[in-house]
Amino acid sequence: MKFDSIKHFFYICVLTPNLMTGKIARLALLFLLISVCSCKVNNRKQAELLFPVIDSATIAESEKLSKEAIADIVQNVASPVEIAAMLQSLSVPFSADYLGSTKGVEQLSTNFQKATMLGIYGADLGYLNIYEKTGNSIEVVSSIKQLADGLRVGQFFDYETIKRLSLNKTDIDSLLYLSVSSYNKIDEYLRTNDRGSLSALMISGVWLEGQYIATQVVTSFPEKKLKDRIGEQKIILNDLLMLLRPYKGTSPEYSNLYALMEQMSNLYRDVKVTYRIAEPQTLEKDDRLVLIQKEESVVEMSDDELRKIVGLTMEIRNKLISGE
Amino acid sequence: MKCRILILVLALVALPLTSKGQAATDELVSKCALTAGDNTAYLKDFRVQLPKATADAAAPVYKANMYLMKNMKYRFSLCNSAEFKGELIVTIYDADKELISSFNKSTGKQYSSIDFFCNKTGLYTLWFAFSNGEQGSGVSVVSMIK
Repeated sequence: MKFDSIKHFFYICVLTPNLMTGKIARLALLFLLISVCSCKVNNRKQAELLFPVIDSATIAESEKLSKEAIADIVQNVASPVEIAAMLQSLSVPFSADYLGSTKGVEQLSTNFQKATMLGIYGADLGYLNIYEKTGNSIEVVSSIKQLADGLRVGQFFDYETIKRLSLNKTDIDSLLYLSVSSYNKIDEYLRTNDRGSLSALMISGVWLEGQYIATQVVTSFPEKKLKDRIGEQKIILNDLLMLLRPYKGTSPEYSNLYALMEQMSNLYRDVKVTYRIAEPQTLEKDDRLVLIQKEESVVEMSDDELRKIVGLTMEIRNKLISGE
Repeated sequence: MKCRILILVLALVALPLTSKGQAATDELVSKCALTAGDNTAYLKDFRVQLPKATADAAAPVYKANMYLMKNMKYRFSLCNSAEFKGELIVTIYDADKELISSFNKSTGKQYSSIDFFCNKTGLYTLWFAFSNGEQGSGVSVVSMIK
């Protein structure tokens, strides 16, 4: 509450100096002083404010989704590293053909384009790093830096270190850590600074590119595990739509993307995800606790449904890349 | 003008405090990611700070949600700041069903890491708390076991 007040005051003072006249200025200053003084008077209270809100509610209660809760849920939706690792475990060879072109990045003019492409390149970087094709990733890394700077979040992308690690090819684990954590930080910064619409676009970009790579691979490598992974996206897609929904009216670009994602959701309507209940197994190994889940999610998706999903994924992704 | 100077002074006072806290947590996250082991890839971290439990209230809990995917193996590594007594505990829930906790209530043993072999894609809820309701500061790094 206090932080919001100070932030509001900052907007009044710095961003709208012409309004800082007479009563408004005095009231705002008084409000700030009360906030600052109340901090000094009650140090214990101030200490408590540093911590996250204590939540002792039941899970059911916590699932009443606020905008923030949706964002919190969806922030973990898209992990290109996991998709890439799955492809690698299925012995699918690397292909640069799946990657988005980095040509023309400097010509992207709108924040919509920059944020979606930031997501797309993030997924590509995850794919390159898991396959240890780090030499090929320099152009992607440079494009990411350019886009992040364009969105004023370049400070969270450690370009020099990531570039050095990519060129050295010696420390893939550190490279993966830095790349993924940079994206997590960018996402968190955007969400906590009232730029949730850009975070939603970046997350959608990451998800779409991961989905694109998976759907391209499945046409040549029709592995059941991969088909199931594509089918399971039904669960995640609903949350993605919830994340995009508040912004769908903000621009024609946003509106188009939302309509296409709704089309995707409609294609998933007949895909069935059911569960086989079973008790998990717990054991201790090397002083670690291990949980082997026996309950299973099962996907039922026809070849025709898959074919349509592959087609629409390609259409949306290519539209985003071409800036249509 | 005076107003801008006041804001600038406030920002200059507050900024070093914020960055110091952030740097310390970043360092703890990096260290924690290293403890996950060689065959892992970092996915996500959760930074948790909670106050000491009060006498007649439930111990503070921080909740977060995360999608976990079928056929993936995840490692949840837990690391604590030396500044506080509390040791971080994670409990994983699937909807309202507790799957596993890093604290074994029957033996009293606390684990610094959980491996979760996921067989069901879905949204899981992670509950973070500190041992004995103590004040604590810690991080949980979620990695994928390759």
